[in-house]
Amino acid sequence: MARRPLEDVKILDFMWVMAGPAGSRMLADYGAVIVRVESPTRIDTARTLAPYRHNQIGPDASALFANCNAGKFGITVDIGNPRSREVIFDLIKWADVVTESFSPKAMRAWGLDYPAIRKIKPDIIMLSTCLMGQTGPLATFAGFGNLAAAIAGFNNLTGWADRAPAGPFGAYTDYVSPRFTAIAIMAALEYRRHTGKGQYIDQSQAEASLHFLTPALLDFSANGRVQTGAGNSDPYFAPHGVYPAKGDDQWLAIVCRSEDDFRALCEVMKRPALASDARFKTMAHRRKNASALDEIIGNWTRGLEPREAERMLQARLIPAHAVQNSVEFYDDPQIRHRGHFVELPHPTYGDTIVEGPRAKLSRTPAQARRAAPTLGQDNQYVLEKILGYDEERIGEMVASGVLG
Amino acid sequence: MLSPYRVLDLTNERGLLCAQILGDLGADVIKIEPPGGSPARKIGPFFEDQPDPNRSLFWWSYNRNKRSITLDYARTDGREVLFRLAKDAHFIIESDSPGYLASLGLGYADLAAKNPALIGVSITPFGQDGPKANYADADLVILAAGGPLVLTGDDDRPPLRISVPQGYLHACADGAVGALAAHHERCLSGLGQHVDISAQQSLALATQSGILAAPFGADQFRRLAGGVKSGAMFSQSRWPAKDGWISCTFLFGSALGVFTTKLMRYLGEQGWCDEETAHKDFIGFGQALATGVEPMSEYARVRGILESFTAAHTKDELMRLALEKGFLFAPVTTIEEVAESPQLRARDYFQDLEHPELGRSFRYPGPFVKFSESPIRYRRRPPLIGEHNREIYCGEMGMSDRELSQLQAGGVI
Repeated sequence: MARRPLEDVKILDFMWVMAGPAGSRMLADYGAVIVRVESPTRIDTARTLAPYRHNQIGPDASALFANCNAGKFGITVDIGNPRSREVIFDLIKWADVVTESFSPKAMRAWGLDYPAIRKIKPDIIMLSTCLMGQTGPLATFAGFGNLAAAIAGFNNLTGWADRAPAGPFGAYTDYVSPRFTAIAIMAALEYRRHTGKGQYIDQSQAEASLHFLTPALLDFSANGRVQTGAGNSDPYFAPHGVYPAKGDDQWLAIVCRSEDDFRALCEVMKRPALASDARFKTMAHRRKNASALDEIIGNWTRGLEPREAERMLQARLIPAHAVQNSVEFYDDPQIRHRGHFVELPHPTYGDTIVEGPRAKLSRTPAQARRAAPTLGQDNQYVLEKILGYDEERIGEMVASGVLG
Repeated sequence: MLSPYRVLDLTNERGLLCAQILGDLGADVIKIEPPGGSPARKIGPFFEDQPDPNRSLFWWSYNRNKRSITLDYARTDGREVLFRLAKDAHFIIESDSPGYLASLGLGYADLAAKNPALIGVSITPFGQDGPKANYADADLVILAAGGPLVLTGDDDRPPLRISVPQGYLHACADGAVGALAAHHERCLSGLGQHVDISAQQSLALATQSGILAAPFGADQFRRLAGGVKSGAMFSQSRWPAKDGWISCTFLFGSALGVFTTKLMRYLGEQGWCDEETAHKDFIGFGQALATGVEPMSEYARVRGILESFTAAHTKDELMRLALEKGFLFAPVTTIEEVAESPQLRARDYFQDLEHPELGRSFRYPGPFVKFSESPIRYRRRPPLIGEHNREIYCGEMGMSDRELSQLQAGGVI
């Protein structure tokens, strides 16, 4: 198998739930060797989250856990057990990078904060990621990405003008911040390559995610304007919306960026006269009369199979797409062509499926090579092959209960 | 961290964030704009609502820490200039339709033939190949294709987007991840490579792995304002407060049920519900509802209790409780409240960047992480059109004044 870009990078990963592990998953795809430490008693929340394989709840059944942890080795360590120091300290000595996503104080309480870890390995890179960052009055605020999304302003910018804000789907900052986690770690490795120095990285998931709201923040700073949810309307384009299609919860997104797009749409709808209708003849007119136009388009789309409509509109280069849920996405010819889903062997189920890497590198491609670990799956491998413990020592470890 | 490296940013409005991330990390980013300015400068909002290419807040948002030159590389003499620039560059980022640059003789393969260490990143709606590679696109289109759109919004209305366009930002961030991984490899091999990003695939991350429901044989997630439905279960996350809304995680099972248990015990102590409700098994409650051991009406009753509690308190009171008791509450915050957040102030998050041409400074969101040894610095406000033409063409590439004037007269620069 081809060498992957980060095969020389070793990460000791204490992160859990979604935001952190989704970031280290990217590095695993690029070949980083990641030993993920789980508590044998306090189950990772991600293992308890839907979707579950065939809707059956179980410790290895979560698609979220499977997706965020593919490619990593899993070891269970009871950090409360004094003998855990041995294993953890040896893993720190082995690692280039230590990551954690507990609420601030947890690592300190375990004697595993940056000053302590640095004593063990002076050039270590350590990254802490949590909702609000390691300092400030909300530092200890713990929870999930839906809370950080609310507090960072995403919820109030997602909704219909006549309703309470709907908010984005789920734990939105958990989708944004993992990229910055991976970026920060690689940047720190670069810095270490030049200077020989490690460092500490304090990531607030809310702060990283605010980079996706910059225009609204600048609009406030520059103009004092407080943007709120504007439905699906757009300040430039009309029509710009999501229209009903044939079937249960089936929809079609359509955008006209120009007069050409709109003329083409009217032709596809077999209503060419609409293009010169006084209400719709320019973008400004269409924006003003958007609800009348949306109704006309919706009446047309309602009877259409969304993928068929997508093809008709795209054949005329009108931005349009069926609104895809998992079933349609999984079956999307583009997604098939790109090899987005990857099948992997799984110790419990025989096989499993995860999303593949999100970037295609031409010469040393990323690759998901193994399923997410079952609880403690790699205890023996990590102690024997990575730390080089002999059988006797491993036996002692097991007997001491350190591994759960 | 990346100060020894030069990035050429050829992107249009789709790809600007990618090179800004590299610029924040210290890289020398040269934004190459068509003469007259990037089309992204036409996107608002604008400072004082005056549509001017140097006042676009969309432009400002994604072009900090870059220098700008103008160059029409679709023309032969412009192409030669781009080749010269690419010979000494380490990264080139582009977001044109697949094949467009290659049709000008400026595809990654063309540039890498002269500079094999060059890393190229392409950010497109559907990736470089496949049946939809040449689809017409928009933020709404890639959100629809990638999975998050159908999950967002009220259940009785069409799917909804976030009003600040998000689609390409996910792709740009993935582009920066890919670029840095390729760079790490280049430090060993001395060779560059091409990084191909599909916004559709990047966006699937924003489904919380709901995108795997089909291959997992599981119920698909469905949208619910501020929450999610899956099979018969639905979980509300938007709750009323006295002065607005909060987000609250009210879920069950071995991990999240612990929080719900703590919360309901507290509600019992405070007299919001009877002892029996306060001491229900909230770890097993989800399972009990799913299997019909408990009726959904019981879920509605318990939700109603929590709702009357949250509605009787302000966002601030609920946030304080979250901090003190570890409840999973957070206020639904306006952009003004974000801008004035005591938390962000205490962390010195926002950065004021001086725009001397406008005689004032503006407040930008601060570094995406805090590095202890190599902190991110905002060295440059977003550039004016071609602000660095002379500095780069003459000062760094060694063009003579005459050469520059010729190219300018020809409309290449």
